[in-house]
Amino acid sequence: MEITFIQGLLIAIWAMIAGLDCWLQAFFIFRPIIVCTITGLILGDLKMGVIAGGLTELAFAGLTPAGGTQPPNTVLCGIMTVVVAYTNNIAPQTAIGLSLPFAMLMQYILLIYYSSFSLFLPTFDRYAEDGNAKAFKRLNLVPMAIVTLSFGIVAFLSAYAAQGPMRTLVNSMPHWLTHGFELAGGILPAVGFAMLLKVMLKARYLPYLLLGFVVASMIPFSNVLPVALVGAVFAMIEFYHSKDEEKTRAKIKELEANNQGGGMNDGI
Amino acid sequence: MESKTDSETKNQRHSIFSKHEISMLGIRSNLVQSSFSYERMHAPGFTWAQLPYWEKIYRDDPKGLSRVMTDNMEFINSSPPLYPILMGLLLSMEEDHVDSQTIKGLKNALFGPMAGIGDAIFWFTIMPIVGGISASIAKSGNVLGPILFFLVYLFLFWTRIPLAHLGYNLGAKAIDIIEDNSKIISHVASILGLTVIGALIASYVKMKLTIKVGAGGAVIDLQRQLLDKIFPNLLPFAFVFLLYWLLKKNINPIWLIIVTFALAIVMSLLGWM
Repeated sequence: MEITFIQGLLIAIWAMIAGLDCWLQAFFIFRPIIVCTITGLILGDLKMGVIAGGLTELAFAGLTPAGGTQPPNTVLCGIMTVVVAYTNNIAPQTAIGLSLPFAMLMQYILLIYYSSFSLFLPTFDRYAEDGNAKAFKRLNLVPMAIVTLSFGIVAFLSAYAAQGPMRTLVNSMPHWLTHGFELAGGILPAVGFAMLLKVMLKARYLPYLLLGFVVASMIPFSNVLPVALVGAVFAMIEFYHSKDEEKTRAKIKELEANNQGGGMNDGI
Repeated sequence: MESKTDSETKNQRHSIFSKHEISMLGIRSNLVQSSFSYERMHAPGFTWAQLPYWEKIYRDDPKGLSRVMTDNMEFINSSPPLYPILMGLLLSMEEDHVDSQTIKGLKNALFGPMAGIGDAIFWFTIMPIVGGISASIAKSGNVLGPILFFLVYLFLFWTRIPLAHLGYNLGAKAIDIIEDNSKIISHVASILGLTVIGALIASYVKMKLTIKVGAGGAVIDLQRQLLDKIFPNLLPFAFVFLLYWLLKKNINPIWLIIVTFALAIVMSLLGWM
């Protein structure tokens, strides 16, 4: 199916809203699950948007900007997953892979901004020194406007202008390649989880990782809530345990301090 | 410069800002990333968010305003959802005209640990849990998935308001509370987060061999008759740890994505998956 000019514009507007949210991280409507849903709504296929949202959200579950690395952009990935699936009539899972180049393009644009927005700092410093609140507030709008517009332009070009070449590409892909992309869409969450593990996993937490894995493998349930509760149980036990330990430690310190004081007095 | 005695500052405490204004400080904390750059991270947005409050405090003191703006243009990088606490706390001290070096020192001492707690709670615990649950609902085309996700994050957006009040009302007392609890909170969040990640690996990484091997006349389905007999979801678990090992070798995440695609395409070409 084709994306009309109006739909292209609506997608661009949506990309600007979600993109600004991605920049500020306020409402988290920049996450794929929301981006895909709204994009599906714009294209008149809500259900496909929601399904794509679920799949893409999982693929990005661990790809977080925390810890200093900027992951492929979730807004562009979400939009393009739905757009590619819609225009080429393919499964969203296959489309995730094809949307990644667009997500990486936006990622690199943002990385350039992260570096180049340092250029605004001398002006900020000058306004701060002058106590010029009005100018300082106004200058903050500039980077935000640049980012917002970039999202709109990139999304419009990717979704509307590139649909022809994209279709040619998808149509020329042999079955083993599209099937490979579909498989990759299913394996992709592993990348995110590995990244989470890199930040979070310490030897002392390995038991909990195994616990979650074993419980989820054994309980046939469609989501992770029951396992999250098992995790919460252990978290609570450990919380009270740590609190007690802290109290004991404080007491020991107190006793030690008293003893030392006493010892010194005895000595003298 | 007018100097104030202790009793005067105490009487003044928390009198010039209304409840509504403190709530708005929580909302305004969303601006911290507005001019993000690697050089000083959140500094310009952090300054912008608090600017109207300083304008009120230093209405007749342009030098004071210039001083506080310059002080806050120094490097700062913390967890966005926890900024309201920090801002409320700093505002109460600024309002009390606490010595600027003290305020700066506190700010610098707090933003790092707070970034640690915030990341542990928001990105590594809440995000996998909420994302995982709502995505599993959405995967079957149920619009309740994205709605659930949106509502949870709308709630988290709202929490910035009580957090700003908390920081403002506790003032300097908040520092002890943060320092006392930061370790335990990130410890407990790690436990919960890792349990969920373990579950997510089992539930959502899809790797199944379709290849069948003939062994002495009998045909063996490798996945069902071998791997699943050892342990279900063995392949996803092993693959995540392969990627984890690569990350530990400081390999760029982009390469992991490429490795994943290469593996999937090769498996598809060979007809093994």
